[in-house]
Amino acid sequence: MQNKEITVALTGNPNSGKTTIFNNLTGLRQHVGNYPGVTVEKKEGVIEYKGYRINIIDLPGNYSLTAYSQEEIVSRNFIINEKPDVVIDVVDSSNLDRNLYFAVQLIELNTPLILAFNMSDVAKKIGKETDIGLLSELLGASIIETVGSKGIGKGEILEEIIKTVESERRKKIEVKYGEEIENEISNIISALEKEKIHIFNFNIKWVALKLLEQDKEVIDTIEKDAGEKYQKISEAVTSSINHIKSILRDSPEVIIADARYGFIKGALLEACREVETGKLDKSEKIDRIFTNRIFGIPIFLFIMWLMFQLVFSLGKYPVGWLELGFEKLGALISGITPQGLIRSLLVDGVIGGVGGVITFTPNIIMLFFAIAVLEDSGYMARAAFVMDRVMHKIGLHGKSFIPLVIGFGCTVPAYMGSRILENKRDRLVTMHINTFMSCGARLPVYILFAGAFFPEIAGNVIFSIYLVGVLMAVITAKVLRATRFRGESEPFVMELPPYRMPTLKGVLIHTWERVWEYIKKAGTVILAISVLMWVLFTFPMIGDNYSQDYESQIEEIELLNQNGEITGDEYNSRISEIEAKMAGEKLVYSAAGRIGHFMEPVFRPLGFDWRIAVATISGIAAKEVIISTMGTLYSIEDADSQSESLQTALNKHYTPLVGYNFMLFTLLYFPCLAAMAIFRKEAGTKEMLFQIGYTLLLAWTVSFLVFQIGRLFV
Amino acid sequence: MRRWGFRKHIIRGPRRVPLIHEKYFSMADAVPGRKYRLVRINGGYRINSRLCAMGFIPGEIFYISGASRGGPRCVIIKGTKFAIGRGMAERIQVEEI
Repeated sequence: MQNKEITVALTGNPNSGKTTIFNNLTGLRQHVGNYPGVTVEKKEGVIEYKGYRINIIDLPGNYSLTAYSQEEIVSRNFIINEKPDVVIDVVDSSNLDRNLYFAVQLIELNTPLILAFNMSDVAKKIGKETDIGLLSELLGASIIETVGSKGIGKGEILEEIIKTVESERRKKIEVKYGEEIENEISNIISALEKEKIHIFNFNIKWVALKLLEQDKEVIDTIEKDAGEKYQKISEAVTSSINHIKSILRDSPEVIIADARYGFIKGALLEACREVETGKLDKSEKIDRIFTNRIFGIPIFLFIMWLMFQLVFSLGKYPVGWLELGFEKLGALISGITPQGLIRSLLVDGVIGGVGGVITFTPNIIMLFFAIAVLEDSGYMARAAFVMDRVMHKIGLHGKSFIPLVIGFGCTVPAYMGSRILENKRDRLVTMHINTFMSCGARLPVYILFAGAFFPEIAGNVIFSIYLVGVLMAVITAKVLRATRFRGESEPFVMELPPYRMPTLKGVLIHTWERVWEYIKKAGTVILAISVLMWVLFTFPMIGDNYSQDYESQIEEIELLNQNGEITGDEYNSRISEIEAKMAGEKLVYSAAGRIGHFMEPVFRPLGFDWRIAVATISGIAAKEVIISTMGTLYSIEDADSQSESLQTALNKHYTPLVGYNFMLFTLLYFPCLAAMAIFRKEAGTKEMLFQIGYTLLLAWTVSFLVFQIGRLFV
Repeated sequence: MRRWGFRKHIIRGPRRVPLIHEKYFSMADAVPGRKYRLVRINGGYRINSRLCAMGFIPGEIFYISGASRGGPRCVIIKGTKFAIGRGMAERIQVEEI
């Protein structure tokens, strides 16, 4: 039987627990995508219920349906154009007054509405009692009480969806805006009707209201549709606005908002009873410490430090297990495939490349877990508050801080996270400097090099690299603000939600989404790059073009061994010495070796040899590939960040200064191709090219200075 | 003389919006522990609609719960706490009650 399809749009204020409700309804069967043309995330989930196929679309969290941000426009256009069968508005029932503002706008749009009164347990605890039946009548929408964190209300919501779809439409509730506004609305309506303009195929009163509110999106649409006729409409609207301003002494958008709040207040006065408990809010008490003038920043730094300890000290163990697993897998495949190109491709190319990336998934999991906890608990917003002043000094927004922190995990989601900045200039500067927030993929490179050259103080050395990154970010932000992105930054207004205990389910789902994106990157881009690298490293094949006759040398040693003139140990060491030499020559002969040699003059002033040049080129694909490239270059199988033989080899070939310099270079040049692909999607080709050029230039200059100056002292 | 780190003592210049009435002042001058009423927002339609949607509406009573010098302040309005930047706070006229 073909199930009947229902489309449900899930909306709500930020911090109303909308995501929790969405997770409860759909579980893990979610699909994350993007709205066409814009970079707003689109989450969908499907559930089968009572013969219906319910498709739930999680719209971005908003305060209103004005055209303030891309998210709001996406939500509004979805509701207007796609006409979902049901709209669910998730409301924080401990704060109905403010949360219902969004609901009123949905009521104005005359959508089939279900209000999910979330966190109803909290509301009761603080002494708020609501007559649900009466309020539902007054608002013209069904109301379901839910407790997202405990999964209460899921069944009722599903029932109500079915009921709303099957039943007749309810009566339309009209919000009264007062005589003045209503008069002007009818004036605009008649102007619209005279010019025969119908946009959005929608309620004309709503269009008139939006014109009074000076909604840019609606104005633009009319201007495009109406062409010359727009002039008349515009005149009518302007005269209405001036009329209202002269009589009511405030702009129409404020008066209209006031009327909406008035409508809510009226409904709540009838249906709600509030018992004053007079208790000092728990959040308030916590905030006195966390956002304290003096302790705020130290506490913030401590939490960041704690996060890093969790990610890197605790993550060490599962990383070790995964490495062992990949080693075994490589050995297994070596055992069942014949010697030759195929085995080399599978073991060296695929497992070497992709395995190297997958092995540090545990770090990524823990990092995103920590970030999800910080976000869900409400601390992330405080971090932005605490940091706003500092960020302002470098011309950024307090909110910029959040994508920057995420940048320490992976630059890809960090670029995407920059969307929280409404102002384009703020967003672009934040994206450009996010590169210098050293991402997780660069860490294994640091671990390898710091372990090789500074085993005693590896932790401090790595920390210093991170600090240099932050310093470069600050300088870059200053420079960009003074040159390419001049102008005021967006006014800072941000909600500080009450502290909440994060739910395990919510945190796990958040973590999983991001980790999955990372694993997908390993399975696609990095797989392709690994194969490409393998080709570069394998062809053209050297054949018989060795500089010495290694074959006969090996035969000679074998003969000595057979005659018992050398011990087994000596035999093995001499054979592997020759094999390493052969591998080295093979590489020099291959395309990668030739590119490295060709590029060497560029890298020489930085103290880098052709091997590092090759590794740097492979790092363009993804920074973590640098390690496996280095491994191949030194003929060490299955090299990873902990590989002692690779560390020994590095130590033999380079000075600590060069080792540190290479860490700096790795930090500073653009993160990886995948990140650049995202950058292009978010900011356009021009900005991406600027990012690539700028970071390469900066990396080269800084490394040049460090090497040339450092050389005088070391 | 302008030395690094000693600029906090310099009082901010007159970037204030002209006041309607002398008892009104900007939210940037409101201090923790007192009760205020929001009088007016001097913004464009975009800022106005945004702030209204967040509950910053003329006539609304609010408290300041914390602020750093020169940085953003914490405002509790309609039962919700917001961080509001200095530049924004300067555009909001309030009165003490």
